[in-house]
Amino acid sequence: MSIATTPRHRGPAIIPQLIGNPLLWLLVLILALGLMTSPVFLSGNNIANVLRNAAVVGLLATGFSVVLLTGRIDLSIASVMVFSVIAGVLLTTEAGRYLGYRWIVRGNTFAGPEALAIGLCLASGALLGLLNGLGSVGLKITSFIFTLITMTALRGVSYLITNGAPVYYSEGLMRWLGEAVFFGLPVGFILFLAMAVLLHLTLSGTVFGRRLMAIGGNEKAARYSGINTGLIVIAAFVISGFCAALAGVLFTARLMSVEPALAQGYELIAITIAVIGGISLAGGTGSIPNVLLSAVTFSAGLNLLAIWGIATWYQNLAIGIALIATVILTRVLNKAKPS
Amino acid sequence: MKLTRRSVLGSALASTALAAIPTGILPHLAQAQTGGGGHSVLNALIAQYAAAAAEGMKNASVAALYDRDAFTDYLEVYPVADLVDGFDWKPGMGATFTGPYSKLEIKAPFTDYIPLPEGPVLDPAKTYKIGFVFHGFNHPWLIALADTAAWEAARHPNIEIEVVDAEFDDNKMGQIIDTWVTRQFDGIVLWPSREAPMGPPVDRAIDAGIPVVSVDRRTSSQKISSEVLGNFYANGLQQGLYLKHSGQTGKIILNRKDLGSTADSIRTGAFLQVIGQEEGFEIAGNYHTNSQRSLAFQSTVDALQAIRDVAVSFNTGGEEAMGALDAIREGNRLDSAPDGKRIAILANDDAKEVLHEVEQGNIAMVSPYTPLIGDIGIRTVLLHIGAKEGLNAAPPRLVLTPNLPMITREKMTIEGVETMTPAEWPYAYGPAVA
Repeated sequence: MSIATTPRHRGPAIIPQLIGNPLLWLLVLILALGLMTSPVFLSGNNIANVLRNAAVVGLLATGFSVVLLTGRIDLSIASVMVFSVIAGVLLTTEAGRYLGYRWIVRGNTFAGPEALAIGLCLASGALLGLLNGLGSVGLKITSFIFTLITMTALRGVSYLITNGAPVYYSEGLMRWLGEAVFFGLPVGFILFLAMAVLLHLTLSGTVFGRRLMAIGGNEKAARYSGINTGLIVIAAFVISGFCAALAGVLFTARLMSVEPALAQGYELIAITIAVIGGISLAGGTGSIPNVLLSAVTFSAGLNLLAIWGIATWYQNLAIGIALIATVILTRVLNKAKPS
Repeated sequence: MKLTRRSVLGSALASTALAAIPTGILPHLAQAQTGGGGHSVLNALIAQYAAAAAEGMKNASVAALYDRDAFTDYLEVYPVADLVDGFDWKPGMGATFTGPYSKLEIKAPFTDYIPLPEGPVLDPAKTYKIGFVFHGFNHPWLIALADTAAWEAARHPNIEIEVVDAEFDDNKMGQIIDTWVTRQFDGIVLWPSREAPMGPPVDRAIDAGIPVVSVDRRTSSQKISSEVLGNFYANGLQQGLYLKHSGQTGKIILNRKDLGSTADSIRTGAFLQVIGQEEGFEIAGNYHTNSQRSLAFQSTVDALQAIRDVAVSFNTGGEEAMGALDAIREGNRLDSAPDGKRIAILANDDAKEVLHEVEQGNIAMVSPYTPLIGDIGIRTVLLHIGAKEGLNAAPPRLVLTPNLPMITREKMTIEGVETMTPAEWPYAYGPAVA
């Protein structure tokens, strides 16, 4: 059984771990190449762009990784990401109607309290995660199948409740979330960083975290040792749903609108980032800081290719090569490790 | 007639539009437009049918869909106007060249519209960097669009163009635009898939002082430098006019593009405005096949299974029409409309294979919507850059492309519009069909 790679007492071990992390070297290589080949790559604006993109795909991948660590998969994250934002807006609008306010105004623009819409969006994401968890644990349907169902169904429901039309945000909190920068870091990235730190501390420093990793390592053994595996798996799906909803908020804050067709195929990006970040598809192995590093490396790499003017299909090829290289490297490193 | 706030508003707008058109070109007085010029004739017909739709529709089935999908909201704000500098387009105009991407011979219709001479432009001592972002190097219509943009850029040695495919990911298109802003490009031309998400990235580029021009479809930006808009309204209108003229009635199945896209809302809306005034039509199937032939094939197969007497297949694009035709042919149902008539397949987009099927009598008509307009986008953005540098006047915010006449197997005159035959149409795009 291979359980969490993160040791309990980490202090001095972090430096050698970082030095030995191929992802970090890849990021350093990208930054060096960018610095040498482009005068704009390390400009404040461009770094902010890279980090904003990293925040969206990174949040998706982080929540996805938590589920993956239990040995399960959540294919519905991109659908949850869009649906929960739509749900947040529509629920707020309905609440407004109940209170006698009209919060969808001319041009299908949302003019209600954005904080409430965001809160309801995050709650919707968590509830959808709960649904996924209950489906795969309570109904004993394989998570691949159950989340495939919710992935498709949520897209359909999104079309039904919006009639396919976009909803626009007016200026305000969403614009701020999409554009504000503190000390060179976009707000979205700060939120991603906070979420990643919180999840890392939870997974590496709490009983819940160790149990979650143990389930991914050997679920039967975990169950026999008295762990309520079902509850922890459901919690993992709730975390995934919440992260997807938060990613949805940041995603739509950048576009200042939401519509059902957005973010199709983003679940594949999340899988890519999680795998490059070293999360085992079999569960039980991996760390959230590596996923964070993977998201930043992924975004910086794609950004550099875009700055070089490389066509998107070559960018896709580069992602594929990175994935293959990661898988091979992980195998080699795992073989080299003493058992 | 149902009197609603929307219908009153619509009537007022349509009356205003009609009043703005000289009476000499009102349809009942119009002469047939030989050779397919007829931009103003089609505009007058658009105004006429919009006014009638605002008054109400006779056909309850059509009216139900028209109201449910809120077509009025889109149609009322879609510009219908004259061409820039009184440009008068005639069939045969335009340049012939080999598409840089498709490697196919292209005759682009509007290369004389908002013209720029070949050779260095603006400040000849400077090199200008233009970004052209669109979706779909896997779609013949879109490759042809990129072909014309790259061709126009190549005519000017001091223009560097970067053509990028955002692969139908709105967020990726936004990221590409943000990267070009960082790289301080001189101008950006985009083909947005959907209107809403592209507004903020366009606004960010405009705020950074970079002129931005959209081609074909619109964005939600209020700041955009120019919009090059095609003849969506005339497309749907002519599909309706043809059907009305043909006398074929009965059950209609619709293969539409993404709900909320300009192409769907304007074409389908205009089609419904015409047939909504006629009894005898029933909307029996309504599918969103998102420009994909395979999805249109599947939806048509489903509809043919469920409905024995399909009379009309309405398609918002050429790919959809080909998918529908494949399904109808495979089911051996070409002549399965009531009274043994052929199912009337109505198409848009003048791909060579669609024209071939019109010639063969399998597709009843096609409303051309040429992708060969990327060059107009490049010239327009160059003029905006020139205006910024004080070298020339800025082009108008709205650059409408000429309304093109429908193509039918035989030459016909329908409500003052003279149709063209496939053999007369030199602007078809995509691979040739034997």
